[in-house]
Amino acid sequence: MSSVLTAPRTSAFWRAGWLHPLNDRHALEEMLAGIDPLLSLGTVKARLVARQAETASCCSLRFKPNRWWRGFVAGQHLRLSVEIKGVRCERAYSLSTAPQADGCIEITVQRQAGGKVSSYLHDELPLGAVVELSQASGDFTPPTTLPAAGLLLIAAGSGITPMRGLLQTLHARGVAAPGSICLIQVCRSQQDCIYGQELDTLAAQWPALRLIRWYSAQQSRPEAAQLLALAPDHAQRLSYLCGPAGFMRNVESYWQSLPDAAPLHLERFGAAPLELAPDAPAVQVQLQRSGAGFASRRGAALLTEAERAGLAPAYGCRIGICRSCQCRKRSGTVQDLVTGTVSSEPNEWIRLCVSSAQSDLELDL
Amino acid sequence: MSTHTLSRKQIAELQKDLDVIRDEVMSSLGARDAAHIRSMVKIARGSAIAGRGLLAFGFDPISFVLGVAALAHAKILENMEIGHNVLHGQYDWMNDPKLNSQDYDWDNVCDSGMWKHFHNYEHHTYTNILGKDRDYGYTILRLSPEQKWHPLYLLNPIANAVLALAFEWGVGGHDVQAERYFKGEMSFAQMQQRAKPFRRKIRKQLIKDYVLFPLLSFWNAPRVLLGNFLANLIRNLWAYTIIFCGHFPEGTKVFREEDCQNETRGDWYVRQMIGSANIKGSRWFHIMSGHLSHQIEHHLFPDMPAARYAEIAPKVEAVCRKYGLPYNNASIWRQYGTVLGKVLRHALPSSPAALKPATSGA
Ligand code: FES
Repeated sequence: MSSVLTAPRTSAFWRAGWLHPLNDRHALEEMLAGIDPLLSLGTVKARLVARQAETASCCSLRFKPNRWWRGFVAGQHLRLSVEIKGVRCERAYSLSTAPQADGCIEITVQRQAGGKVSSYLHDELPLGAVVELSQASGDFTPPTTLPAAGLLLIAAGSGITPMRGLLQTLHARGVAAPGSICLIQVCRSQQDCIYGQELDTLAAQWPALRLIRWYSAQQSRPEAAQLLALAPDHAQRLSYLCGPAGFMRNVESYWQSLPDAAPLHLERFGAAPLELAPDAPAVQVQLQRSGAGFASRRGAALLTEAERAGLAPAYGCRIGICRSCQCRKRSGTVQDLVTGTVSSEPNEWIRLCVSSAQSDLELDL
Repeated sequence: MSTHTLSRKQIAELQKDLDVIRDEVMSSLGARDAAHIRSMVKIARGSAIAGRGLLAFGFDPISFVLGVAALAHAKILENMEIGHNVLHGQYDWMNDPKLNSQDYDWDNVCDSGMWKHFHNYEHHTYTNILGKDRDYGYTILRLSPEQKWHPLYLLNPIANAVLALAFEWGVGGHDVQAERYFKGEMSFAQMQQRAKPFRRKIRKQLIKDYVLFPLLSFWNAPRVLLGNFLANLIRNLWAYTIIFCGHFPEGTKVFREEDCQNETRGDWYVRQMIGSANIKGSRWFHIMSGHLSHQIEHHLFPDMPAARYAEIAPKVEAVCRKYGLPYNNASIWRQYGTVLGKVLRHALPSSPAALKPATSGA
């Protein structure tokens, strides 16, 4: 499988077996990178050109991508890959601005407790370093024409990052009807408010934007109904929602309970993996390629659990040494039954015969 | 098992001791290991470019010899330290698509999928179990008295020489399991089906070394063709020697199927240790042998990055000493000498020492 990050070139040249090793793409890419780390045959790479603190635990990183970057629309996200202690790690981030004139792109990273990648991006990735990116994707993008009832943007925590791009785009388009864009921003406190001043300034000079803040440290965690009551016409507005998984679930289920509500766009990233509750008897394992699924008991090897459910994944030794049973785990938490190591890394290789599910899983099988 | 006298309790302890050694290394994998394998890739690639360049553009015998040497070096390094180890998944933890066991393909006529089946799975799981480990004697050699004698084994020395010279072909065809066709256990069509990936890989390798690169060098085509052939030959001899010294020297044990039922990981560890042999050598010798000169460590921890075997070897040896198990470590001359001795001796009828089932051919 090629990496999610490399756009596979399928032209005949790269596929021609008889030209090997002259068309060995990996080798050519590596040799080019030896000349200049930004050079590549199609992989998007980008140089870190600036880092700026937004709050005490949040910073923005500005990158200059190479020529393979195809651009983006505000609100989209990309996958960024860095190598940390020899391990290649990928994470998805929203692009946090509208497209820029100089071609640079920006993401805003909230430091996660124990987060390997976020801490690395905050503390270690040096200016001038080159990272690998995917092309932008996602449809959390501004509408081509603004509906008469206007827009509602609901953001909690770092969920504000894609919203900033949306706002910048709408502002540049010259949206003017007063109050036609309503932003509800939930933050812990004023100090934790990402883009706080910038948004205040924007709202002050742009009447189209109505800015509502909710500080959960003072006002308690908001209930969806309570929060949305601050924008009484919310049900009519075309709405965008981004924030922590629990918050999003809360707002989403409230939204579904509304009669004839306008559409609600969601942007979620690989939600933080859930630990299996100690009393939960089984988790659900979803197989992406075959579309099949099965229930797996806690502590039992995934291979035997899949077989118990009548599936027949490939296997060899069944003791963890041959890797015949290896597959990619897209999301979820597993435990290695030999070493006891628990891991939630997205897109990692696992061996079914010595891994047990600790949460719902998605496997590339 | 009748090859040692350890109690269940001792085996459980031994398992713990070895798990500790493994966990210590596996939890410390990092940038150093990544840098090692990447530098190996770079060196092998540099040698390949240099070797192919010298062969294609040189005119004189000196550049020919240097070209063959560089290309042989590239092929050996790529097959042994990179290919073999990457295909074991030793670097899967890096999550680098270029160094992943599922995708990697090596410069060898053996299809990597077939290799993973008969090597990673069959050989590493059933190591030295006669009848189950098809790598023991590669189904054509008789290397232990426990293997039943047959007049065809008179050809042992010749078969051995042919296998040495054409090692990649022996390995490449291994998983076709042609012997099952000759025994009537498989139809011709089934064998053809099994051979498909092998045929595909043969085409790729032959085109590369004997069509593409010779043609690209125009008037130098015969020189390139010959040089590539010699480089492949050198690689074959080297790989054969290292690999034969892994399980066949004097002192390595063989096992019967019935001895290995219901094995615990501890039992499996014991079998791996007493069924394998190490070769002494310098750091570069170990690298050029893909660290298979640390066969004992490799068989205990096949998915540990091989460059770490040297650092755990003293600890593994100490475990062997603690439980009174042999730790077979000797020079390449001694190890290969005894292999050759077995090839010759067991060409003729020989029988296991009375009342000592499943021991070595001593
Ligand atoms: S079946 Fe061999 S590693 Fe899982």
